[in-house]
Amino acid sequence: MNKYTRKWLFRVLVLAVLALLPQVIQARYFLHLVVMAGIFTILTLSWNLLAGYTGLLNLGHAAFYGIGAYTSSLLAMLLGISPWIGLFAGGLTAAFFGFLLGFPALRLSGPYLAITTIGFAEILRMVAINWVDLTRGSLGLSGIPLLTPIRLGALNIKFYFERDYYYVVLAAVLVTLFCVRRLTQSEFGVSLQALRDDELGAQSVGINTARYKIAVFTISAFFAGFAGALFAHYIRLVSPEMMALHTTFDTLTMAMIGGLGTMAGPILGAVVITFLSEWLRYVEDLFKVDIRLVIYGLMLILTILFMREGIAGLLRELANKLESSRLGRKKESEP
Amino acid sequence: MTEILRVEGLAKMFGGLCAVSDVSFNLNHKEIVGLIGPNGAGKTTLINLISGAIQPTRGRILFNGRDISKAKAHEVNNLGIARTFQVVRIFGKLTVLENVLAGLVDRRSKGPWHLAKDAIFGPAGALVEDREACRRAEELLEFVGISRYRKELAENLPYALTKRLEIARAMATAPKLLLLDEPSSGLNPAELMGQIALINEINRRDVSILIIEHVMKVIMDISHRLIVLDYGEKIAEGVPKEVCSNPKVIDAYLGGGANAAH
Repeated sequence: MNKYTRKWLFRVLVLAVLALLPQVIQARYFLHLVVMAGIFTILTLSWNLLAGYTGLLNLGHAAFYGIGAYTSSLLAMLLGISPWIGLFAGGLTAAFFGFLLGFPALRLSGPYLAITTIGFAEILRMVAINWVDLTRGSLGLSGIPLLTPIRLGALNIKFYFERDYYYVVLAAVLVTLFCVRRLTQSEFGVSLQALRDDELGAQSVGINTARYKIAVFTISAFFAGFAGALFAHYIRLVSPEMMALHTTFDTLTMAMIGGLGTMAGPILGAVVITFLSEWLRYVEDLFKVDIRLVIYGLMLILTILFMREGIAGLLRELANKLESSRLGRKKESEP
Repeated sequence: MTEILRVEGLAKMFGGLCAVSDVSFNLNHKEIVGLIGPNGAGKTTLINLISGAIQPTRGRILFNGRDISKAKAHEVNNLGIARTFQVVRIFGKLTVLENVLAGLVDRRSKGPWHLAKDAIFGPAGALVEDREACRRAEELLEFVGISRYRKELAENLPYALTKRLEIARAMATAPKLLLLDEPSSGLNPAELMGQIALINEINRRDVSILIIEHVMKVIMDISHRLIVLDYGEKIAEGVPKEVCSNPKVIDAYLGGGANAAH
């Protein structure tokens, strides 16, 4: 079996497991966590495109997430527009704001960009809090419509239970993963990484770094907005708190622990952190101590100190070791 | 001989400091011109100006008759001028092969949106699987002699080889003029010979070259013509032998006293 067949076999296997998962494990709480992990995977993949692959430390990513959520919710509640269209409208609106935020990013880097983007997200959060007529202020929007049923011939697919949303989110994660993977492994992605590693060097090979930064901000914001809209029609409640720094911080934690600038990192990070944070909530209730953020902080520090490429990097190293020891044994067995 | 580059009255001020003042020269097709001068003479500033990394205070730069003095670095490259850097600026977290691939992308006709669209909707999404681009990148790595490191991260290359990688990356953009900023610094004598051969080979491929170099052996061997800068001004120009016996040049390198004693 060559490497290529093995890769595809692995993919088919993973897909089969994912497709059957809700049939095997029917616990609604478990499926809810998987759906949340899926939404966070999309958000983290989009952040990783900026921070991991292009080196643009955007700490206002939660704003895109919130913009997507509010846009789609308001379109559905005020104008009766289908949430299915709203998902994309939320993504596109966020993309527009991403495009705008791309411009200051041309002149700023490192800590200056980070602070500017925090400011951007805070302004939007304030708008959401104070524009009470539209957003109901800090109360947030509630009673957001569910995804509308899809009629396929005689089949009427409803979206009500966690299990139904599971398949929608799974599809969204797969499409996002496909896009991000294609983007990063293409000439586009090589250009992004080039400008991350050395901006002047990138310009010297003809890369218009300004246009690339704006493009990647726009694309990244689209996926974040899409994730936000998905969240809104699933949880059915959005509030200005979605745009607070802690949402971005959660995203950052997932990306860092999973593996910054890797493809598997955001997925691993989102799943691990989502489940861990639920488990820690249980521990907190038990011992009556607020320990969640302490543990996140410690994990971040340990990751940065000892495994820069997070869980994804660790797994890759393990795989390499296995591979080389396998090859070693093969050589030994040959006379 | 056809003129490819023309610099007219070029000046660059950094605050009150005049890094380059009123420099004029030209460079012909297939010519190798050496740029020498003591430390701080303004050689690198001159290359930064031509390549668009910084903009001149006064004067004009014409490339193939077109004024490029206001052009940005990426525009200058798109027009056909590539460069290397005194302190290497490779893409450390990309592989050696990907460094060259970054240069191979046809950026005159494809912007970021075009590439992003191709990446997602195009049939050959993955660049690493694009046989044609990879083959050309391999060729260039072969050409500069580092093809066996193609899969290594560029930051893991030994210093001498990063200099070669920069040349391969610059060549990937198919330049008509190559600006080399001290390509031989930090090389041992054996590596030096290789570097001279490489630069000559590049020149044989119809590329004109402007080269800054401190290693005299290199500059005397390969330059068709020399330009000497001192305190931002051009003090001499001509064939290497002539220039080296020019009293002004000796002054600049050894200081006024040396010439008097001579």
